[in-house]
Amino acid sequence: MPIRGKKEKTPLGIYIHVPFCRSKCEYCDFYSLGGSRERVLIEGYLDAVCAHIKETAALAPGYKVDTVYFGGGTPSFLGWEGLTRILSEVRRRFDVAAEAEITFEANPDSVTDKLLRRLKAEGFNRISLGVQTDNDDLLKKLGRPHNYRQAVHAVELARAKGFNNISLDLIYGLPGQSLEQWEQTLGHVLELAPEHISCYGLKVEEGTPLWSYRDEANLPDDDTQADMYLSAIRILKEKGYAQYEISNFARRGLRSRHNLKYWTGGEYLGFGPSASSDFAGKRFTAEADLVGYIEGIRQGGAILSECQTLPAGERAGEYLMLRLRTSDGIEAEEYSRRFLLPFEPLQALMEKYYAQDLAVMDSGRWHLTPRGFLVSNTILVELLDAQERSIPLAKRRAY
Amino acid sequence: MTDLSKIRNFSIVAHIDHGKSTLADRLLEECKAIDQREMADQILDSMDLERERGITIKARAVRMKYTADDGVTYDLNLIDTPGHVDFNYEVSRSLAACEGAVLVVDASQGVEAQTLANTYLAIDAGLEVVPVINKIDLPAARPAEVKAEIEDIIGVPAEDSPEISAKNGINIRAVLERIVTDVPAPKGDRSAPLQALIFDSQYDSYRGVIVYLRVKEGTIRPGMDVRMMATGAVYKVVEVGTMQPLGLLPTAELGAGEVGYLTASIKTVSDTAVGDTITEAARPAKEALPGYRPVQPMVFSGVYPADGSKYQDLRDALDKLKLNDASFVYEPESSIALGFGFRCGFLGLLHMEIIQERLEREYNLDLITTAPNVVYRITKLDGTVLMVDNPLNYPDPTEIQLAEEPYVKASLMAPQEYVGNIMDLCTSRRGEFQDMVYLDANRVELHYIMPLNEIIYDFFDALKSRTRGYGSLDYVMDEYRPSKLVKLDILLNGDIVDALSFILFADNAYPRARKICEKLKDNIPRQMFEIPVQAAIGGKVIARETIKALRKDVLAKCYGGDITRKKKLLEKQKEGKKRMRTFGTVAVPSEAFMAVLKLDED
Repeated sequence: MPIRGKKEKTPLGIYIHVPFCRSKCEYCDFYSLGGSRERVLIEGYLDAVCAHIKETAALAPGYKVDTVYFGGGTPSFLGWEGLTRILSEVRRRFDVAAEAEITFEANPDSVTDKLLRRLKAEGFNRISLGVQTDNDDLLKKLGRPHNYRQAVHAVELARAKGFNNISLDLIYGLPGQSLEQWEQTLGHVLELAPEHISCYGLKVEEGTPLWSYRDEANLPDDDTQADMYLSAIRILKEKGYAQYEISNFARRGLRSRHNLKYWTGGEYLGFGPSASSDFAGKRFTAEADLVGYIEGIRQGGAILSECQTLPAGERAGEYLMLRLRTSDGIEAEEYSRRFLLPFEPLQALMEKYYAQDLAVMDSGRWHLTPRGFLVSNTILVELLDAQERSIPLAKRRAY
Repeated sequence: MTDLSKIRNFSIVAHIDHGKSTLADRLLEECKAIDQREMADQILDSMDLERERGITIKARAVRMKYTADDGVTYDLNLIDTPGHVDFNYEVSRSLAACEGAVLVVDASQGVEAQTLANTYLAIDAGLEVVPVINKIDLPAARPAEVKAEIEDIIGVPAEDSPEISAKNGINIRAVLERIVTDVPAPKGDRSAPLQALIFDSQYDSYRGVIVYLRVKEGTIRPGMDVRMMATGAVYKVVEVGTMQPLGLLPTAELGAGEVGYLTASIKTVSDTAVGDTITEAARPAKEALPGYRPVQPMVFSGVYPADGSKYQDLRDALDKLKLNDASFVYEPESSIALGFGFRCGFLGLLHMEIIQERLEREYNLDLITTAPNVVYRITKLDGTVLMVDNPLNYPDPTEIQLAEEPYVKASLMAPQEYVGNIMDLCTSRRGEFQDMVYLDANRVELHYIMPLNEIIYDFFDALKSRTRGYGSLDYVMDEYRPSKLVKLDILLNGDIVDALSFILFADNAYPRARKICEKLKDNIPRQMFEIPVQAAIGGKVIARETIKALRKDVLAKCYGGDITRKKKLLEKQKEGKKRMRTFGTVAVPSEAFMAVLKLDED
C-alpha cells in the first residue's frame, strides 16, 4: 500500500446517468423516463446510485478522479439537492482532483438562478445545455420542453453565476431544415459565445416516435446533411472553434476532458441505470431498467449486464474506431507498440484516403478530414478488415 | 401372383391448387392404407418444398387395397404426377404407366389451361378419364356448370361425376368406386419378354437408385440381368416390390400390369432415364416402349456461390441433387466477375426456381444466379452451327450468318374480359396470334406462337397480374426461328461485368438496358467514388445511370454507452461487405443480381 501511494495515481472519469426527463423528445433513444416525477422513484434512484458509488469506490484505490459528468436524461431535472447529494458521495468515496472537470447537462427550461448558484458552490464548473436549434417551431415539433428564448436566458444566467465553461448542443438535419436555416442557427448561437459546441446530425433511431413518421417528416437527405456538416466545420473554424472530434468543437484548451476519455482509451466508471464503464481492462454496463437497478442494488444482486476483459484484438479495433473520431487520430509507433500489430496495411489505406482527401497526416499522426469523418464508417470497415487480416508482429518474429 | 382383373392403375390430373394432393390423402385414408395418426398431411408430397408450394415436384406412386361395393378387393396403384408445365414429359410418362386418370376440377374455378393440357396428355395416352368435381362445399361452387364445361371443352361425359370435397372427406368412396368400374384392368402377358416402363426414380444412399416402373409385358424378379434399352446400362436386379404408403415392400416378382419398384445397386439416376424401357438382357423385347425422349433442358442460368470460398460446397450439393434429378444438367464455368460456378440447365423456370431454392434451403448456400437464357442456334459465316447456352460464348456479331431462337406454342386461358389484356401482353412479348376459342359463354382459350425467351423472364407473373390471377398458361416447344439478336453488356465503372451480360431481341434492347441500369443504380450502395452504370451493345453505350459518391456514413454520437453498440454496427457492416462481390473497385451486393432478374414490366 505505501509503495503504491508513492506512485502517481491513475486518472479516472466518473459518469452519472440521470434517467429522468420532464418529457421524452421525439428523436431520443436514451434510457430515460419522461414526465416521471414520482418522489419514491427519485429517492430510490438517489439511494441506489450513492450505494453503487460507495461499493465500487472500494475497488478503485490508486485512482484519481479528474472528470465527473452528469448526463441523461436531464440531470437538471433532478434539482440541485439531488445533484449535490451524488457529487458529495463521489467526493466522499473517491479521490477527486481539485482541478477536476465537473459537468452537468441541463435543459434550458430547468435552469434557475438557484440551481446554478448551488451547483457552482458545490464545485460544478462546466454546463452543457441542450439548445438543439433556434427555431421554436422545430423545438416544439421535436417535443423539446423549451424555446430558444429560454436557452439564451439560461446561458446569460450561467455566465452571471460565474460559469466560464459552457457547452451548447445543436442538432442539424432536422425536419424541413434547410442549409441556410442551419447556418443561421449557428450564427445566432455563436452570438452567445459558448466555450464549446457539439453539433449532431439527426439520426432517426428505430423505436423513437420520429421513426414512425420519418417518411412524412420532410427530413433533409444525406447530401444536404453532409453539406450542413461541412458548413458547420467551416463556420466554427472561422470563429475560433477547432474541431477535435466528429461532432465536437472547442476554443483552445476547452475540449471536454471527460468525453475525450471515451475516444482515447481512458478509464471511466458509470453509475446509474444503463451507464457504461471501461475499467481495469473490462467493459461493462449497468442494468438499464431503473426499478431493476434500484432493486438490484438494494438486494445486493447482479446489476452489471456484461463484464469481461476485452481481448487485445478487440482493443486494437477500438483504437481505430475511437481514435479516428478525433482530430488527434492514430500513430504508427503507438499502435504497433500497444497491440503488436503491423501498421503497414493501415498505412496503405490511409495513403489511399489521403489521395481522396479523406485523411491527412499531421505531425506524424493520421487523422480524417471533415469529408473523411462523414464517411468514417465505410473507412473503418476497410481498416478493421485490414487489421483483422494482418499478422501479429510477435508471431512474425517467431518465424 | 395378382389377378390382373383386380388391379387398377391410375393417376390424378388437376390444375395447381385444385386439390390433387388432398384427394390422394383421402383415397389413402379411405382404403385404410395408413393410420390417420401416422398421416402427415399430403403424404405423397414428401419434400418440404412441395408441401409449402402445394405442388408435386417428383412423381410418387403408392399401392392401396380397396374392397369395393361388389365385394371384391382390388389393388389400386395411384401414380402421382407433377402438375406443372415444366414437367410435361414426366407427366406423359407417368400417364403411360396407367389405364385411367382421375380428373379433378375445382367446382368454383372450372377447367384451367393445365387441366386441359394434362387431360389431353391422358387422352392421347389412351387413358380412361374419370372426372371428379372437387371443393363442392365452397360457397362459390357451381358443379352443374363445371360439369357442362368439362363435357363441352374436354368432351368427356361428366353428368354423373362424383361431387366431392377432398378437404372435408365428402363422397370419397364414390371416387374409388368409379376407379374400379370405369378404369380398365391392365392387360399383358406375364411370360412374354420383359418390357417395363420407368416413370420415375429416386436416389437412396443405402440402396442406390430406386426405379419406379410399370411392367407392361413379362415378369421381373431379383437376380435377373436387365438392360435399359435407351441408355444401354445393364444391371442385376437386387430387389423388386411395391410402394406402400409408408415404405417399400419387397415381393418375389412383378408381372405384367403391375406397378412397383426395383433396386439394382444403381449409382446414378442418369442410367435410369424416365420413359426408358427395362428389358431382360438374356431375352430382350423386340422393341422399346414408345414415347422415350432424352432430357432436354430449355432454360440455362449461371449459378455461383455468393461467397466464393463455397465453390466446393456448391459442387457437392449439385452432385447430390443430380443423383435424384436426371432432368437437370450442369457444368463448371467461370466468370471474371463471379469467379467459379456452374452453368445449369433446367426444364423450365419453375424447375430452375426449385433447384435454386433447394440448394439454398437444404444445402444452406447463398447463391448468385445470372439471368436465365434459352439456347440460341447460331450459324456462323463459315457454316458452323453453335448452340449457345451462355452469353459469354456468343460469337462476335461480324461472324454471324444466322441467329435463331426457340419458339413455343403457348395456350392461355382466362375469362373473356381479360382477352384484351392478354393480347396486349402477348404482343408486347413478340407473340404471334394463332386463334382464339370460346370454351363457353365466358371463358376463352388463346393460342400464340412466342419466343421462349419472352416467357422465361416474368411472363407468368405478368399474366397473373393482368388477369387478376385467373389467367393460366401452358406451352410446348415448337421450333427455332430466325431472329434479330444482340448481346447486351453491362459496365460498372467502365468495366464489363460478364455475369450480367445477356442475349436478347434487338428491339427490346433499349428499354431493357434502361431498366437494368436503373435497377443496378437502386441496388448498388453508394461508394466512396462516383460509379457510372452503362449498358452497351458491342462498344456502343445505349443507356447510362450514375451512382453518386457516398457522402455520409457516420455515427454522430459515440460516448461511453454507445461504444459496444457501435462495434456491433461496424461488425455488421463488415459482414455485409463480405457478402458483396468486388468488380474492379466496385462492391456489388448479391441482391443487385437478383434485382436485375426481376424487371417488373409495370
